[in-house]
Amino acid sequence: MSAETSAASPAVALPRHRPDWLLPLLVLGPAAAGIIIAIIVTPTFLTSSNILAVVRNASTIGIVAVAMTPMTLSGNFVSLGIAQTAMASMVSFVALLGSGWNQALAIIVVLIGTIAVGGFQGAVVGAGFNPVITTMAAGAIIFGVVSEITRGQIVNVNEHGASWGGGDIGGVPIVVIVFVVFTAIVTLVMSRTVIGRQTILVGANRATAETSGISFARVTVVAFVIFSIGIAIVGILEGAAFGEANAMSFANLTISVIAALLVGGTAISGGQGSPLRSAAGALLISVISNMMVLNDFTPGGRLAVQGAVVAAAVVILDMFRRRGLRR
Amino acid sequence: MTPVDDSTGAGGAAETPRLLVRRLSKRYGNVQALAEVDFELRAGEVMALLGENGAGKSTLVKVLSGLVQPDSGTIEIDGVARDLYPSARSQASGVAVVHQEYSSVPTLTVAENLVLGQTGVSPLWLPGRLKARARTLLDAVGLDHINPGTLVERLSVAEMQLLEIARLLVRDSKILIFDEPTAALADREIERVLGVTKRLASEGRSVIYVTHRLPEVFRIADRVTVFRNGRSLPARSTRDLDVDAVITMMLGRELQTMFPKRGTARAETLLEIEGLQAPGLSEPVSFNVRAGEIVGLTGQLGSGASTVVEALAGMATLQAGRARLDGQDISLKSRSATLKRGIAYCSADRKRDGTFAVRSIRENLSSPWIRAVARAGWISARGERDRSSDIARRFTIDVKRMATAVGALSGGNQQKVAVGKWLGAAPRIMLLEEPTRGVDVGARAEIYQHLRDLCAAGLGIVIASSDTAEVLGLCDTIATFYRGRVTALKPHHEWSEDALVREVMHQEAA
Repeated sequence: MSAETSAASPAVALPRHRPDWLLPLLVLGPAAAGIIIAIIVTPTFLTSSNILAVVRNASTIGIVAVAMTPMTLSGNFVSLGIAQTAMASMVSFVALLGSGWNQALAIIVVLIGTIAVGGFQGAVVGAGFNPVITTMAAGAIIFGVVSEITRGQIVNVNEHGASWGGGDIGGVPIVVIVFVVFTAIVTLVMSRTVIGRQTILVGANRATAETSGISFARVTVVAFVIFSIGIAIVGILEGAAFGEANAMSFANLTISVIAALLVGGTAISGGQGSPLRSAAGALLISVISNMMVLNDFTPGGRLAVQGAVVAAAVVILDMFRRRGLRR
Repeated sequence: MTPVDDSTGAGGAAETPRLLVRRLSKRYGNVQALAEVDFELRAGEVMALLGENGAGKSTLVKVLSGLVQPDSGTIEIDGVARDLYPSARSQASGVAVVHQEYSSVPTLTVAENLVLGQTGVSPLWLPGRLKARARTLLDAVGLDHINPGTLVERLSVAEMQLLEIARLLVRDSKILIFDEPTAALADREIERVLGVTKRLASEGRSVIYVTHRLPEVFRIADRVTVFRNGRSLPARSTRDLDVDAVITMMLGRELQTMFPKRGTARAETLLEIEGLQAPGLSEPVSFNVRAGEIVGLTGQLGSGASTVVEALAGMATLQAGRARLDGQDISLKSRSATLKRGIAYCSADRKRDGTFAVRSIRENLSSPWIRAVARAGWISARGERDRSSDIARRFTIDVKRMATAVGALSGGNQQKVAVGKWLGAAPRIMLLEEPTRGVDVGARAEIYQHLRDLCAAGLGIVIASSDTAEVLGLCDTIATFYRGRVTALKPHHEWSEDALVREVMHQEAA
């Protein structure tokens, strides 16, 4: 007789408590398992020279990924001008050294210049322009200007040798030390300062942030400045390591950094994630790509796998978050 | 077959009803939204569905449109038992709904919108064919003056509403549900919607007409069904009723236990509002708020009550007017400007701009005042914890769950977070829109008590609410709004619920 016999249970769903460690574990756990298996089948991975190479690579990617995390957390997606900005910092640092500048002065000038370029983009995005388009356009302009000035030639430090960027302190590469210290600082800023908290809240819900009196423009400018500091550091370190640079430096950096950030579990829409996770993501991405090099993957194959890893991470995280909040 | 409710007036008595709902129930958490309601709709009739906010009207509409699955009860269409969930099944059974929100795409043409989402239309949108098809549909809803090639964004609100109706006609639905179709319309435009509604019924379709506007009911409805507290009263023929009788049927809710005792408002004026003008207001608005007083602004959707609250929060573009707090002029230019002067604000939609759903209760509670527990930009974890726990205790939020994401809480608890967070910011004035929308009965009483406690501490509170019972039970001074202006402003003891409902419906009900 009755067509409506669905005995729906009353919706008194108790809010479930989701432990904070579960989310990163969900992504990093299977990845770690995969790596352990890969290590077993790739004996050359565990040689000390290889591990050093992996860690150096992870540090370069990691510094930028950590620096970009506040931008993503604030809901401003990612910068699509990563490679170009890093390249510009490196080229100008090398060029300044090459024309005989004092190293400390060159470092300060490159830092200020990079921050100015990034801060300006932040102000534009903070005024309501689309972050993807703004950073992509800025990246194209930067690349064009640098190519034009260098005429596609390699810039080098000439006789003013500087190779400390590739050096180490007590056996630990400088880039790794910088990576660890920078990650610690940005993590503290995000978790313990007012501006860090506001960055996360703006990303979690921009409209609520506005009614709570939090300035989107201010948060955005600060996020872009932090990003620029990380970019400048990487440009300077690489410049000081290789002593030469050209407009094609860092060609693959953008995809690797975005991959590290997403695999680490920072939500692309903002509001959830941490710099520490991006650092872990960078390590993971570097290990995977190194493993593929050792197993003779072609560059195309490596890029494809990297893309697949990012896609998988984003899908898994999204499914997990949706379930966590559904009632 | 059991005999149908036969207390009805004239009309084909023995014929099978188009729609027959029997003993339908739906529960949300603690709230019994529908309790064994009966509802009957005949072929070719316009049935008005009336009731106060929260009476269960919208739940019935949701069940019939397949958005919500009922807990128990039966639904028959033309004598055949039907399951209307999910909405595709409801549409296939011939039910169509015109919602308050428009679903047309503004950047497409009228003709294009008329093929959107329709089955059986060639995927090749040939302009000529689309226009010819649109013409007949537009004529059917009284839009014969509209060129099918017009972009929808150029239409008036009423025309968009009629276009929504035209989109339904394509589906050839037998049962049309109009959910407050005239809420946002001016008088002349209302005429057109009513005319079309009548015409559709005369063609043999059945119409369920949900509204708050009683005069419309008497103009177009054949019968009236009133919902009260999730229960249905037997349908009555419009001819046997007048406005008074309908209001009496709608009221009669228990009010005593829900609302806290009123305190004594202090004599001093806290906030003076003078000549406030903003988009959505047709006349300047002026009123005062004393310390310890709750002022209620009430009216129908779009009456201007919410506009006033939004303007005071610094969330609307102010055209004219001034506000003085403690006798000093304050700027209403931006939200951060009003926040600095101690004006707290909770919008009607806590999901949209009242909470950070993915963040913890503690982070939500501390969001407006985190600076106050920071030194040189560094947050004192202890300061944040102590102050947010203090708020949680005062607002009866479980202190053990401070790390839980707010999005995982019930509506009532979310609202307690959205309101309670302001306590840490030492507000002078609290502004709230629809403070208990989507909040279950128990949490409502709690929120009312908390608001009273804040008054006792010397705050002034301004509430915009379309729930007349709430405004009457809670507020000390009540202003009614109608079409963008204040129609009456009186202390609570000079209002009765009856008078308030009449004033909200304004001259319409006279």
